[in-house]
Amino acid sequence: MFNMISRFFRPIKEGFYGVGRHAAMSISSASAVTITLLIISIFLIFSFNLQQFTKDVEQSVQIAVMIDYAYEEQSQMDKIGIDIGNIEGVSEVKFSSKEDEFQYYLDGFEDEAQKEVFEPFREDNPMHNAYYVSVEDGSNLKVVADQIAQIEGVDSIDYGGESAVVLVNALNSIRTGGGILAGALSLLAIFLIQNTIKLTIFARSDEIAIMRNVGAKNGFIRSPFLIEGIIIGILGSIIPIMLSVFGYIYLYRIMDGVIISKMFVMIPPHPFVLKIGGILLLIGMAVGLVGSFFSVNKYLRWKR
Amino acid sequence: MIELIHASKRYPNGVNALNDINLKIDQGEFVYIIGPTGSGKSTLIKLLDGEEIPSSGTVNVVGINVGKLRHSKVPLYRRNIGVVFQDYRLLPRKTVFENIAYALEVIGMRKDMIRLRVRQVMNLVGLDDKGNSFPSELSGGQQQRVAIARAIANKPKVLIADEPTGNLDPAMSDEIMALLQKINREEQTTIVMVTHDLPLVNKHKKRTIVLEEGHIVADLQQGGYVQHD
Repeated sequence: MFNMISRFFRPIKEGFYGVGRHAAMSISSASAVTITLLIISIFLIFSFNLQQFTKDVEQSVQIAVMIDYAYEEQSQMDKIGIDIGNIEGVSEVKFSSKEDEFQYYLDGFEDEAQKEVFEPFREDNPMHNAYYVSVEDGSNLKVVADQIAQIEGVDSIDYGGESAVVLVNALNSIRTGGGILAGALSLLAIFLIQNTIKLTIFARSDEIAIMRNVGAKNGFIRSPFLIEGIIIGILGSIIPIMLSVFGYIYLYRIMDGVIISKMFVMIPPHPFVLKIGGILLLIGMAVGLVGSFFSVNKYLRWKR
Repeated sequence: MIELIHASKRYPNGVNALNDINLKIDQGEFVYIIGPTGSGKSTLIKLLDGEEIPSSGTVNVVGINVGKLRHSKVPLYRRNIGVVFQDYRLLPRKTVFENIAYALEVIGMRKDMIRLRVRQVMNLVGLDDKGNSFPSELSGGQQQRVAIARAIANKPKVLIADEPTGNLDPAMSDEIMALLQKINREEQTTIVMVTHDLPLVNKHKKRTIVLEEGHIVADLQQGGYVQHD
């Protein structure tokens, strides 16, 4: 039992020694991680917010369905409502009577006098009974709208037109591009770590040769270096985590939680910054681990 | 114990280091391998400890076909053999005690057993009072004794010594020889010692294998070697 514990802690202890022993090398590796994580952090924050915007846009985009004056019987309108609900991709159908519509129209005027002008029309209501349809995925807005237009008794539909679809699609492709860039940056960081750890291993090549001479298994030799890589990754992620947590909170405060207009609402900092911090830490650790794994393996293979 | 059958080694650069070596060493033997520089002594050692793979033929040590070992299995094989090098190869940042203990930690021995065994071998090589010294604080002969202690700590069946007296003066060399003979006698360890120290070979007579240009040119059971021109 005691033996197992010491076997578990040995690589951790040795890993910390390794970082300390090669302080300069560790710092240079860690700063490579720092720089990459900073860039990744910007993309993560950008991408998550974009995701949020997209969701908001998608949710706010509704299809307004006007019902033909000839279909104002309750049973006819119910049938239209059921037909709309049956279309694939429709998430919510809300009914709004022509009286509601009229009131909504009147409420649009701030001036009481102007409201008076339209008051006589209440008896002879020109508005349509309407359904407001929300869709699950903003990208098939047009498909759903076209299907609704086919239903008997639908007078007209309105969904903010092509511009809503274009906006949703544009946001989506920006997000995908950001993701690819973040992935590429992680690879770059792995490469940088691999190179710097290769130097620390080279400095210890005699030690590794002796370890193999006395019968140390590859895993035994490798584990302290892996821990060392993870520690370097953690060290390198401290500054990016701090900067993104406090930076985002600060940004949120000075921007008042929105970008440009009310349409783009930023994600509230709590618990979002913790999530970003956690992701950065994990990426840092993974990058350190993978980078050192590659370089130790290369060295182990070099000597039999 | 050790058997080479038609073993040859040709390096990628075209050098034929060993040609068709047939050799059998029994358990408990003490064997010298001598020969001039470039005769293939070092390559023979490398074949025995698994560092190099024979180009053809087989190398069997303690019943293991060394040339066929996978890279990850080489360390496990090395636990059966101890190797001592001319340049000692001690870990400079570890004390004598830690250096010897290291070979045992590596194979996962329990702490209290390690302590016991390290004291035992330190006593065997006559370094009882040097446990807390660092290698740099010791003389060459003492460092080589630490290296020998490390090599025999896990009770290997075979001890391979590559020019163990190469950097030592004759008096120290005699001490090391006495120690190796003691290990051979007391722990029944098979010892293969590569050397070019002819006075030593003639003084402590053992079975002597002579290598020249990758061939075995003599295998003298009675020992002693007279240089011929």
